[in-house]
Amino acid sequence: MSLCVLDEDEFHLCCQLLLQLSEQLGDGWSWEGGQEGYLRKTALRSVVIDSSSVWDYEGGGADNSCPSRSEQQEGEQEQAAVDASADTDRINGDMEDEDDGVCVASAGSSQLLQYEYHILHSCSYSTPVLYFRACTQEGRSLSLEEVWSSVHPNYRLRLQNSPLNTITLQEHPLLGQPFFMLHPCRTEEFMRPVLQAAQDQHRPVNYVLSWLSVMGPVVGLDVPLKYSTLLHPAAPPGSTEPG
Amino acid sequence: MADDKDVLRDVWFGRIPTCFLLNQDEVTEREAEPYYLLLPRVSYLTLVTDKVKKHFHKVIRTDDAEEMWFEYEGTPLKWHYPIGVLFDLHASNTVLPWSITVHFKNFPERDLLHCPSHSVIEAHFMSSIKEADALKHKSQVVNDMQKKDHKQLWMGLQNDKFDQFWAMNRKLMEYPTEDGGFRFIPFRIYQTLSDRPFIQKQFRPVSPEGHVHTLGDLLKEVYPVALPNE
Repeated sequence: MSLCVLDEDEFHLCCQLLLQLSEQLGDGWSWEGGQEGYLRKTALRSVVIDSSSVWDYEGGGADNSCPSRSEQQEGEQEQAAVDASADTDRINGDMEDEDDGVCVASAGSSQLLQYEYHILHSCSYSTPVLYFRACTQEGRSLSLEEVWSSVHPNYRLRLQNSPLNTITLQEHPLLGQPFFMLHPCRTEEFMRPVLQAAQDQHRPVNYVLSWLSVMGPVVGLDVPLKYSTLLHPAAPPGSTEPG
Repeated sequence: MADDKDVLRDVWFGRIPTCFLLNQDEVTEREAEPYYLLLPRVSYLTLVTDKVKKHFHKVIRTDDAEEMWFEYEGTPLKWHYPIGVLFDLHASNTVLPWSITVHFKNFPERDLLHCPSHSVIEAHFMSSIKEADALKHKSQVVNDMQKKDHKQLWMGLQNDKFDQFWAMNRKLMEYPTEDGGFRFIPFRIYQTLSDRPFIQKQFRPVSPEGHVHTLGDLLKEVYPVALPNE
């Protein structure tokens, strides 16, 4: 379905639009790198590193990254993370892991971390890809374990059971430095219903923005709902969607 | 691909004679002897150097020892690149054996990915295989393979078993002849003279007019500086 693929030109168009909206909202996105570039945003987050959590993550696991059809769980639809934006940036010392059966010996402490998010285009998967890195105020890079520990409990179960969005350490394809990445290979699957619905309802849709609203909150990247109202200011019926 | 079997074997069994030397700044209880190894070009540094670690752990203070990492003439070596690529990139003009320096301290966080276990290498390898198939077959072949088939691919690489590996890999290397080839050719052009680690683009095996593309056509399209001026 060509509906769900995002080629490089369309990616650029979506990014340009996102940048315009970001500017209006003061959301801090910028474009780096010229023609073959990426969207970039930094953010300070107050995060609890709950290092006593038990994770079965090891490097995304040999089988956890993008299982084949014969392995995957019954299709889990990723819905726009409405509840995400509420709490992700306001995790504090309160332990909220009632849902993952983890025995916590000591409460994790709240730290102020500097996050850097990049959105690139993958020519292999014809989707956007989210890369990020995080460091403490002293400049120490976070480890993969710490990043997994800082994922909001609402998402942990989803990440563990549905390897749609596995976090792994990867080499940034343009900068050559280690970054964390949310794996893109299942993007087409969760974008399909979103794009189909938009097409059926003759609503314009920005692929990158819709995609980001799903992926971003998992790693603490807030996508204010105001983007949506700016994008759809009472669109007249019958308006065609962009390419 | 059956008629290319000789080429496939030559590629698979390519070896680089290597000499591993302990970083001079490491504190040792006695003199550290170099360790010699024939490295498989198609494998990964952290997959084939358990013996190197064992060897040097005998002479250093192991309580201080952190994750092992490798460096050549000041450049940290990226374990997630195939060994042959690393050699060709950094040391192809030098006399053999290839001298690699081994470190157990000051891991370069900004340059290297961590590799805490073999399963990380497996995940990386499988991820590359899947990405390549996304370009070749829109992921259809790799996704239709069973978990045990994926495992066989990995075990074949890990244990240097050509036949075991290719029994599975041949499926990933097939294409319907009416299409003229794969959807796109999975390639990467690695370079050292830029921050950007490699060039990777969508490139079709056949031109719109039906001519089969050559390596020269690829370079002309994506990396013209590599070609001599006409």
